[in-house]
Amino acid sequence: MTGDNGDSDGGTSDGREKSSRRRFLATSGVTAVGAVAGCLGGPGASGDSSSGNGQMNEFDLGSFRGSGPFVSSRPEPSGTSIRDLPSLSGTFGVALGGGEGGLYIDLFEQFEEIYPDLTIEHRTAPSTDLANTIKQEADADNVQQDIFLSVDAGSLGFVADAGATRQMSAEAISSVPSSFKDSDRNWVGVAGRARAVPYNTNDLSGSDVPSTVQEFPEADALQGSMGWAPSYGAFQSFITAMRLIHDDQTAIQWLEDMQAAGVETYADEFQVSQAVADGDIDAGFANHYYALRVKAWNDDPPIELAFTRGDAGALVNVSGAAVLTGADDTEAATDFVRHLLSAEAQEFFATRTYAYPMIPGVQPVGDLPTVDELDAPDIDLAQLSDRGQTLDVMREAGLSV
Amino acid sequence: MGTTDRFERVPSLPTSTRDRQSLVLTLLAGSIALTLLTPMLWVVLQASQVPSDQILEILLRQETLDIFLNTVFLVTAVTIGSVLVGVPLAMLTVQTDLPFRRFWTVVAAMPLVIPSYIGAFAFISATGQGGAFTDVLAPIGIERIPEIDGLVGSAITLTLFTYPYVYLTTRASLLSLDGRAIEAARSLNHSRLSAFRRVTLPQLVPGIAAGALLVALYTLSDFGTPALMQYDVFTRMIYVEYDAWRLDYASIFSLLLVGMAIVILAAESRIERADEEDAYVNRGTDRPGTISLGRWKGPALAFCSTVALLALVVPPAILLYWLGRSAGGIGGGYEFQWIYAWNSVYVSSLAAGVSVLAALPLAYLSARGESRWASLPERSSYVGYAVPGIVLGLGLLYFTLHYVDSLYYTVDIIVFAYVVRFMPQAVGTLRSSVLQTDRKLVEAARTLGHSSLSAFRKVVLPLVMPGIIAGAALVFLTSMKEMAATLLLRYPGFETLATYIWLVRSSADYGDAALPALVLIGVSGLSMLVLLWRGYDVQE
Repeated sequence: MTGDNGDSDGGTSDGREKSSRRRFLATSGVTAVGAVAGCLGGPGASGDSSSGNGQMNEFDLGSFRGSGPFVSSRPEPSGTSIRDLPSLSGTFGVALGGGEGGLYIDLFEQFEEIYPDLTIEHRTAPSTDLANTIKQEADADNVQQDIFLSVDAGSLGFVADAGATRQMSAEAISSVPSSFKDSDRNWVGVAGRARAVPYNTNDLSGSDVPSTVQEFPEADALQGSMGWAPSYGAFQSFITAMRLIHDDQTAIQWLEDMQAAGVETYADEFQVSQAVADGDIDAGFANHYYALRVKAWNDDPPIELAFTRGDAGALVNVSGAAVLTGADDTEAATDFVRHLLSAEAQEFFATRTYAYPMIPGVQPVGDLPTVDELDAPDIDLAQLSDRGQTLDVMREAGLSV
Repeated sequence: MGTTDRFERVPSLPTSTRDRQSLVLTLLAGSIALTLLTPMLWVVLQASQVPSDQILEILLRQETLDIFLNTVFLVTAVTIGSVLVGVPLAMLTVQTDLPFRRFWTVVAAMPLVIPSYIGAFAFISATGQGGAFTDVLAPIGIERIPEIDGLVGSAITLTLFTYPYVYLTTRASLLSLDGRAIEAARSLNHSRLSAFRRVTLPQLVPGIAAGALLVALYTLSDFGTPALMQYDVFTRMIYVEYDAWRLDYASIFSLLLVGMAIVILAAESRIERADEEDAYVNRGTDRPGTISLGRWKGPALAFCSTVALLALVVPPAILLYWLGRSAGGIGGGYEFQWIYAWNSVYVSSLAAGVSVLAALPLAYLSARGESRWASLPERSSYVGYAVPGIVLGLGLLYFTLHYVDSLYYTVDIIVFAYVVRFMPQAVGTLRSSVLQTDRKLVEAARTLGHSSLSAFRKVVLPLVMPGIIAGAALVFLTSMKEMAATLLLRYPGFETLATYIWLVRSSADYGDAALPALVLIGVSGLSMLVLLWRGYDVQE
């Protein structure tokens, strides 16, 4: 309730909802889980694991995977399995940005169950708070945590600029496309979120939604029936992207044109998506996963997602991880990050938070387009931290930020 | 007059000893005040890095003026609202034959235990389309309660949860009111109203002003309510700029906020200090007679009930409503643990204890000091109360990391943050208590051979005890609710109820946040009973 103006990544309560639901599904899920785990080598089949040192318990994919409407017919994930990674042991201090409703903690607990010698101590606070804390710690040469897991690339860039990060090996993060990691390897994306246009399928068809946001103010089908959440962090990142691709003036003009076309203001993008499903508005601007949450919690709501192409509206931002100078052993901390990029963890992000997986072997949930089908604009994501100027631009366009 | 003269003629102590004691007190109070101001160092450092032409540009923007005016509107509205609610409630519960007076005495103070962010969240989620009120009221034909937000929503919410400051201080003044003066006025043919205006009110003004000061500064520093109500005041804009990585803007807004606090402090000083010794000193035990409400009994009860319903029934009812609808499995990965409640109580109790100890010298010097600067340490301690938690947290982070490394990642630093933020409440209650003790009693003890320390312990301390307990309870209550600074300063594994509420807040299942919120309200409510029974009411 302390204002979190930033993005809140992926799913929140759905994870918890599922963990309670998991008990009910335990019996029916056993066969499916067994089948999937079998594809990955199966419980107990640890012959191909490279973990020579340190203990490792058996596990199955089901504990990483969510349940519910989007999971039933998923292909098994491919990519580097946790079984093929160096094992983790000892204590890791993780600065964990964002509340996430405890979802990332679930993931940490999975790791701790696999490795009996592993302890993960997390310090959870808003990403901006943590980034500022880490910067101050770095200034005093006293960085406490080993790893920073942030909901936005801006915080990671800020911490990297403050000299608080250690370079990861190229090999460790090679599975992630270059647009989702720092070129100097100071941070890497672990879960993506795409800007999207949720629309009401009773009022519009996908073809009514133009392929660039610049065309929205003139689109006949959208006049007076759109919604947005300008005070929301993700929206401000979208406007920042527009400024970076074009210029401030283009962004101001677009914001003014949108207001002239008629647009309803909401407090956050979940509300925008819910309003689309309720038919209060025909279409809106929101991160992709909110529509999936609306779908997961309602009985077949009339909502679908459209994506614009190659412009700010197609921005894909990431939650990411960095190894901090507080780490005694850079290699071990990098191994921790590699676990976040494992097939199992990526499946976790995809199915539990509805995020875009960062490795090609794992598909996004439902009928979402894959990340390379999205046609995201070519932007250095760390530059999205330039939100201050965006606030000025939005104010100049007459918006309350 | 005879007695006074006699005491004054007592050759108590050599002047040099006296001077030395007063010097020690001044130095002590001064260093406490300076320690409390250390977190501000960071703000000043940040602001000093901004080029002066940019400072000018920030200050002269229309945006800044709008925020400034919004803040002024909100502070004014909440302060006036709190006086309009708090003073009548105090008078009704102290001076009239209101039915169930003891009950209303407790109930009227209780809203202080509900964090305003929880209140605001409850009101927002309950009103408007699809809110809880709509569900409940639909069967009786009320389709929709309009959504409250913006200035009106912020002002209503903050008034409902901060008016008890005015209520409590006004009540304390009423309880120490000299009834004989009113009787004298009545015997001189003044009507009841006129006696109230000419005798009672002037004696109450310092008490009302002391409460109004706490309300005004709290409003200035509160982030949660205006943020949830989407009303752009300094605290919200400090956060928005900070979140957008513009620490320079955030620091300049913070300094503007501190400037506003100083103006408010100066204004309150003028009211409170005007003639306060006469107003405060309790010379007799004669209390004014009880006023019969007569046909006003009904409206008076309606007024008390409405306030209680809005502030005390609605928020917990909505929390229970969420809890009831919760899917179960509270908190997901962040499972609720009772240790969080213990942590809250532990750090808040420490903060209350330290605050009272630190507040005593400041309050004593301010009440008894003879120099015109004697009030400066006490006044400057209020600055921390007006600073938003996030700014205080960053300031303390900077200070500890650079100067007292060993405090980083300890409970001590969290306690210190609470002391900086909330000690002024203890200073206020202690100062009134000290003023109410007749200084001639101390002189009398001294003439009977007690040392000054012993005289303080045997005479002053018992008399200021109600003030100490009340001050400690107020610090405890507000510390329990603190969220922003705690989030920044806590170390891994240490959560309080407030930080736990933050952890689960983003969950769309409000039931997750409802349980810790109810526990927070319950624990705070118990300590409020202590405040009422052992503190303010001791004289009754």
